[in-house]
Amino acid sequence: MPVEQQSDPFEEHPFEERLSTALHQVGGTFHGDRAALSAAGAAHGRRLRTRRRAAFVSGAAGVALAGVGGVLVVPWDGSSAARPSSVAAAPHPATSSPSTAAVGEKEVIRTLEQLLPKGTFSNEDGRGAGQDPDTRPYASVVYDDGKGPAALSVSVDRVEPGGRQARELTQCPDRTLVPYDACVIDRLPDGSAFMVLQGYEYPDRRVDTKLWTANLVTPGGRSVSVREWNAAAEKGAPVSRAEPPLSPAQLKHLTTAQEWRRIADAIPDSPRKRAEQPSAPTGGTAADTLSGLLPKGVEVVKKSGGDDAEYAYVVVDDGRGRSLVQVNVQPDMRDVADDLFHPGDETLADGTRIAVQQGPDEKGVDGVLMWTVDTMRADGKRVVVTAFNSATQHSAATRSTPALTMQQMREMALSPKWWQGA
Amino acid sequence: MRQGRAEACAEFAVARAGHLYRAACLLTAGDTHLAEDLVQETLGRVYVHWGRVSRAENPAAYAQTVLTRTFLAHQRRRSSTERTMEVLPDRADAAGGDAVLRLTLLDALGQLPAKDRAVVVLRYWEDRSIAETADVLNASQAAVRTRCVRALGRLRDLLGEDIGAYAHP
Repeated sequence: MPVEQQSDPFEEHPFEERLSTALHQVGGTFHGDRAALSAAGAAHGRRLRTRRRAAFVSGAAGVALAGVGGVLVVPWDGSSAARPSSVAAAPHPATSSPSTAAVGEKEVIRTLEQLLPKGTFSNEDGRGAGQDPDTRPYASVVYDDGKGPAALSVSVDRVEPGGRQARELTQCPDRTLVPYDACVIDRLPDGSAFMVLQGYEYPDRRVDTKLWTANLVTPGGRSVSVREWNAAAEKGAPVSRAEPPLSPAQLKHLTTAQEWRRIADAIPDSPRKRAEQPSAPTGGTAADTLSGLLPKGVEVVKKSGGDDAEYAYVVVDDGRGRSLVQVNVQPDMRDVADDLFHPGDETLADGTRIAVQQGPDEKGVDGVLMWTVDTMRADGKRVVVTAFNSATQHSAATRSTPALTMQQMREMALSPKWWQGA
Repeated sequence: MRQGRAEACAEFAVARAGHLYRAACLLTAGDTHLAEDLVQETLGRVYVHWGRVSRAENPAAYAQTVLTRTFLAHQRRRSSTERTMEVLPDRADAAGGDAVLRLTLLDALGQLPAKDRAVVVLRYWEDRSIAETADVLNASQAAVRTRCVRALGRLRDLLGEDIGAYAHP
């Protein structure tokens, strides 16, 4: 059979044509659950990845998470304690939702438009709530108050009251990790936490599109996030005005409107099992351990705050310029070991695998280097130490190489101190 | 910011998941559980490398390449632990006349070596050229042609020249 024949093979080879038709016919009979598959994919991806910053949840978190799955849905009784998984996996009694009236996407869009000052709207998009427990209500419009079109969106979600996500939504981010012009946090009379952040779409400011975000978390765990830009799209559209249309005060007015709380109430309880987070790896915080493991001769100029056990950074100076050093500490990553380590990577006698990488920081400013030592013990405990030759993730290089050597980073990553008390 | 990235990636994943799953079902000769695992792994990698994927000329093709390589890596791991599949894998119900074609075709695919199956799926389901198929498989074009000839010969033996007859009994 002349298979080297490449021009229109089907004419020459009716069997191949029939095979192709048959494959399409049979392939078409398989119907996967696209949402579940993509959610599972995202969950898998999250395990592979290390964090490059202390978690900072901006306004679209609800939207993004609803898309990528793994959404933590909190029972509507507002309890912050984790339910036993056997209970969480069972269908909730209908009484656990205060209101189950579905909200259509049009209603979410209309609510947003009615709460905004007079102007014109285009490119309306939205999503309702009430049917799929993994869907979060959302609306986005291009709003023009007469001074230039601006993208503006609102998303509504439920978070665990007092939980990590609730805190992250309403805390100002660390300037070492995210540049911004202003950030204000506030506690409202009803106990809700509120934050307005005046920042940028691109943390490295390669385009000066401004992104202003307002986040509200009520004591019961309803969360409302509004984001607005000074361009007609969050990315890829030219700056259309000096600033986004709503002032911080107007943002607050919009975000705290009672209408959103009713829409939040329409989010149904999810029967999905709560994502089981393995417990924190150490008794202390990763920041303390990281500081303690630094070699002599480097001075800590700055370090991450908070009580994060899985991520920390320090900015160090050995007298020759500042250098950002980060660590990710992950409890059990055995399921993704084959994606992280390859046959050629070093394996120690105790089964610990080590992968190293030295190169330009793909996501950073030109000239910034990122050195990484990735380690995983036989029991799946992973420590990744990353060092940069810059003081932040979004600024220019301050020195020719990071302040730590690969050997020093390796010793730090392999230290048993990360797991003491675990 | 990251959320924009995550949204774009999530949109892509939802949009492509169905197609990837169907491809995975053909690659695994109807093992829907393995197909789900492969799609999950594929989308996980897409998620991690979204920056690179989104800049690719054809992100959908990129994802398909990742799927094929994930499948082949899985087959290598499995053959190294000598786990073979003796029992017919779980297959969802097919409707009417398609059921015969489906069973016959999946059985036939299941009798091909994994790499040959990948060639068949890339060439005749994805409509990739010999050169593109070679690229995905990290193989030479000559090797792809050889596999293609062999696979087609085997499928013709198993299915008969007139495959189409199964579709419309």
